[in-house]
Amino acid sequence: MNVSQLAEQLRQDHMFMKDVTRWEVIPARKARTLPFPACMDERIKPALAKRGIYELYTHQAKSLEATARGEDVTVVTPTASGKTMCYNLPVLSAILKNPDARALYLFPTKALSADQVSELYDMIEEMGVDIKTYTYDGDTPAAARKAVRQAGHIVVTNPDMLHSGILPHHTKWVKLFENLQYIVIDEIHSYRGVFGSNLANVLRRLMRLCEFYGSHPQYILCSATIANPRELAETLIGRPVTLIDDNGAPMGERHFVFYNPPVVNRQLGIRKGAIPVVRSISGMLLKNGIQAITFARSRLTVEVLTRYLKDMVRDPLGNAGRVRGYRGGYLPGERREIERGLRAGQVDAVVSTNALELGIDIGALDACVLCGYPGTIASAWQQAGRAGRRQGTSIVFFVASSAAIDQYIVNHPDYFLHQSPENALLNPDNLYILLSHFKCAAFELPFEDGDGFGNAPGPEELLDYLSEEGILHHVEGKYHWSAEDFPASEISLRSAAAENFIIVDISDPAHHRVVGEMDRFTAPMLLHENAIYMHEGRQFQVEKLDFDACKAFIRAVDVGYYTDADLNINLSLLDIEKEEPFAGTAVAALGEIKVTALVTMFKKIKFDTHETLGFGHVRLPETDMHTTAMWWTLPDELAEKIPSDRLKNGMMGIANLLRIVCPLYLMCAPQDIAVVYQVRSPITDKPTVIFYDNCPGGIGLAHKAYGMKQLLLEKALQVAEDCPCEYGCPSCVGPVGEVGEDGKRTAIRLLRELTK
Amino acid sequence: MNLRDKLRAVGGTGGQPRPAGEATTDCRHFAVYREAEEFPGAYDLTRETLQLMSDLELPEILDPRKILYLDTETTGLGGSGTVAFLVGMGYLTDHGFEVHQFLMRDYPEEPYLLKHVAAGLGKFDVLCTFNGTTFDVPLLESRFLMNRMDRSCLEIPHLDLLHMCRRLWKLRLGRCNLGRLEEVILGKPRTDDLPGSEVPQRYFTYLKTKRIELLEDILKHNAQDIASLCVLLNHMAELYLHPEKIRFSEDVYSMGRALEKLNRTENARHCYRLARRGRAGDLAGQALAVSYRRTGEREQAAEVWREMIRDRKGGITPYIELAKYEEHIRRNIPAALEMTERAMALCSEMTLRAEETVQQTQNELQYRYERLRRRMKETENHGNRIISEGFQSNQTTEKGTEGRGNPPV
Repeated sequence: MNVSQLAEQLRQDHMFMKDVTRWEVIPARKARTLPFPACMDERIKPALAKRGIYELYTHQAKSLEATARGEDVTVVTPTASGKTMCYNLPVLSAILKNPDARALYLFPTKALSADQVSELYDMIEEMGVDIKTYTYDGDTPAAARKAVRQAGHIVVTNPDMLHSGILPHHTKWVKLFENLQYIVIDEIHSYRGVFGSNLANVLRRLMRLCEFYGSHPQYILCSATIANPRELAETLIGRPVTLIDDNGAPMGERHFVFYNPPVVNRQLGIRKGAIPVVRSISGMLLKNGIQAITFARSRLTVEVLTRYLKDMVRDPLGNAGRVRGYRGGYLPGERREIERGLRAGQVDAVVSTNALELGIDIGALDACVLCGYPGTIASAWQQAGRAGRRQGTSIVFFVASSAAIDQYIVNHPDYFLHQSPENALLNPDNLYILLSHFKCAAFELPFEDGDGFGNAPGPEELLDYLSEEGILHHVEGKYHWSAEDFPASEISLRSAAAENFIIVDISDPAHHRVVGEMDRFTAPMLLHENAIYMHEGRQFQVEKLDFDACKAFIRAVDVGYYTDADLNINLSLLDIEKEEPFAGTAVAALGEIKVTALVTMFKKIKFDTHETLGFGHVRLPETDMHTTAMWWTLPDELAEKIPSDRLKNGMMGIANLLRIVCPLYLMCAPQDIAVVYQVRSPITDKPTVIFYDNCPGGIGLAHKAYGMKQLLLEKALQVAEDCPCEYGCPSCVGPVGEVGEDGKRTAIRLLRELTK
Repeated sequence: MNLRDKLRAVGGTGGQPRPAGEATTDCRHFAVYREAEEFPGAYDLTRETLQLMSDLELPEILDPRKILYLDTETTGLGGSGTVAFLVGMGYLTDHGFEVHQFLMRDYPEEPYLLKHVAAGLGKFDVLCTFNGTTFDVPLLESRFLMNRMDRSCLEIPHLDLLHMCRRLWKLRLGRCNLGRLEEVILGKPRTDDLPGSEVPQRYFTYLKTKRIELLEDILKHNAQDIASLCVLLNHMAELYLHPEKIRFSEDVYSMGRALEKLNRTENARHCYRLARRGRAGDLAGQALAVSYRRTGEREQAAEVWREMIRDRKGGITPYIELAKYEEHIRRNIPAALEMTERAMALCSEMTLRAEETVQQTQNELQYRYERLRRRMKETENHGNRIISEGFQSNQTTEKGTEGRGNPPV
């Protein structure tokens, strides 16, 4: 059965359709093209002709022209619209005209760079010209590195390698820096938060060195659809850009199905879980031979679903290679194999986290199932974009979980279909990040009096500070690096924690093998001792977590449950930046806090029924994070009127409501923020609800929230009042089991007082 | 909280401002003079000897006084923020050995220091360092570049003693740092020397206090390193000229390996022969035989294997090699079989000692044995047919012949 037939059949199925809140058909779109612009080198045309290309899509042609005019360009394109042409063509033209010209390509991951380079190789080979393209990353053999440095016309790398492998050793890259004409950055939408803030500073360092070597490179940036591509691009590179978002690529017809699992307990507002529903939808696709990708929000769900789907198609020997799991933490070789399998059609079903959301080439698939809302509109479209060919029909199922944001989306499909996607926020001037890169910059090239650092604020103060610390040595107008350290090795661009945990399988005592890795913040949650760690649907039990050596030792097991850890958060105040009273004696404040996270216990949860089987204790050190926060402190007279039990439940309700409302109005991902409540907060000594940026140093969300401090409470109240449930449900203040029978009422009462 | 306080909260401890440096027009210069007697043989070093030791492209005429020995002291381990604050350069004169050290008393003096380095290098034909190819020269290149100065002065023939020493002594000594070589090879252990890892911090403290006495150890250490380079090079030259004077068989064998890599086959074989009597006798014998085999001198190779068997050296290998030789070169199947049987006998002796690798050898021998037995039978049955057929694949490798060894009967 093909996709159109399946869609037709489902539409006749009343049992299925009664839970569909919307069936949107996005009509097919024709290609819009323009002739090759004059700025494109003639020698490229035959190579394009061989691929059947005689014209360019409008967005490709326009970006070529803008680049030729010397502008920094940002191209916004959905998946599979031929964006690589937007940068490959100008770069190839430039090198054909001047063999000394150089270009630097940055991709967020090694996997992506490998993928894009192979396409570039093909083009160059077809033209039969001497343009050397090299990948320079951690996998580049030492012997090959010299050739890359000397002769590479196009150097393909990632921000991490640029940061620690290229910039601090710039004197070995003279040819590149002297002749750098284009800097290409793909997938810029993935540079949000800490990663983006780091990259912006890496680029400040890069441009500083280019200036030293006398080159003036232009930027070509590509982004998936987000609300603020221009703002993101301009913040990243610190210069104005020309935005090209006129997509001329064709697209086949697409069905977008919004499915809300039925309510199974009216009073408690409990719905059937998303996982069993996805299990049957993905299973149906699998049985009909429709190649599909299923996106799940957590690594755990990926593993659970992979196991379910594998069970459906196991051969007598128990193999189920047609179904694969895919997520961060799998080793690169394994991932490449799965990607190849998808392109070659050997893999029919893949279950993935957002790891496959980026532009890794897995070909276009027929169907996509979203198990739960990925958190942002941009992500949802990126994931949905994995299904959809230039011709032919494709289908996307969005299966809502009981999470409030999912419920909001599935009940307001128009919000999803018509609202602009989120902003990608970053804050290059986050003091932690800025200071670290400032050190790197000083190491790379001494600052002179009056020097700036891109558009960073307060370079003089930073320089004075580092001089006083003895890290820089100020003499005759120059600040010289005078410390033994290699500052670039002290920063990891992707998280505040430098080191990842290695996961070692010790099932075979004679043959230990590394099966994966995990970042430092996640490890205590998923790799604590006795946790069930799942990898490709197989279960392992964590035998030992060596926190200092960053290693987890696991052993294969086969048990009927999985584990889920409880995270305990403590907050302490570092500094108050602003505060102002509102609604009587309530106070809203903005400042900096320290967040201490500690995993203390975990639950064992049975497969299939998802009931809790038991608990276990976890003994692990705390992890610390400094970040920016804003908080609302309840007025004394209000707090005094309510018994502390009820107050606690009400505040829990408010916190839950804010977790729903904040991502929508700040236009960020739910995991970027955290909302906690404290009946007697160590920060204020009073009942307080605290909102903070969930990344070290913050990326500006708390500031933005402080600007909306009244609005956010009003919207929270609105959600609670509009919700039809009686005593609370997961879509508003939280389930009754959590907030108690008075939780919703108290939350509404408190919010009304606060928004008077 | 103002920016300053925040910076402190982010990661500060507080520090003291430093005294400002005075503007200068040159860096500080130190000179050390040493007696010619401390450098035995240094004046006799010839182009030919150097050519024997390295594959460097040397100038037509080599004057030992035209070799510049250079060593740097730096503020770190590399990257463009690392600076060579002290560069020492030494050379032979008609009267002895002179070391000139250039110290930047503060960063603004770096261009002057580099000017001295460039001028120094310009006067010599060959540069000699210890690990200079990976450390000192790239670092100086980087410094010239950062100061926008011409770095072509660094493009002179460069002898890196680290690599030469490793080739010679790694087998016996393991790690080959300069201090260890001075102690073990030159017999001059250093006393109260400053550990290299403390150098950067010393210099930073000097920058703050400008107390020159803090640098005394570093200057002494640097001058000593440079003098040692010259002594070491000439010591090595002496050994290369007279390998028979080397006391350790491992070193002679290693020298043979080094010479063979440089295609000095005859010199290499001389070393191997010398080394055969000592502890590296097994290795040297094998290397000698392999060297003969490589040049097609099969009979000489076989003779070495035979001698090894006679001297009970090299374990099973000589038997196996002779079995191959008899089977594939001489086409003497019975002799090959005999060698294989002897090897198997020796092997079973060794198995008693339960060495793991023996098992594999044993399996291989069993395979060889069976093949040879088959060939024996075939030869008996078919007379010359097999032999003439075998000759056509004379040049094939061991593996190649094995596949072809048993034509259908």
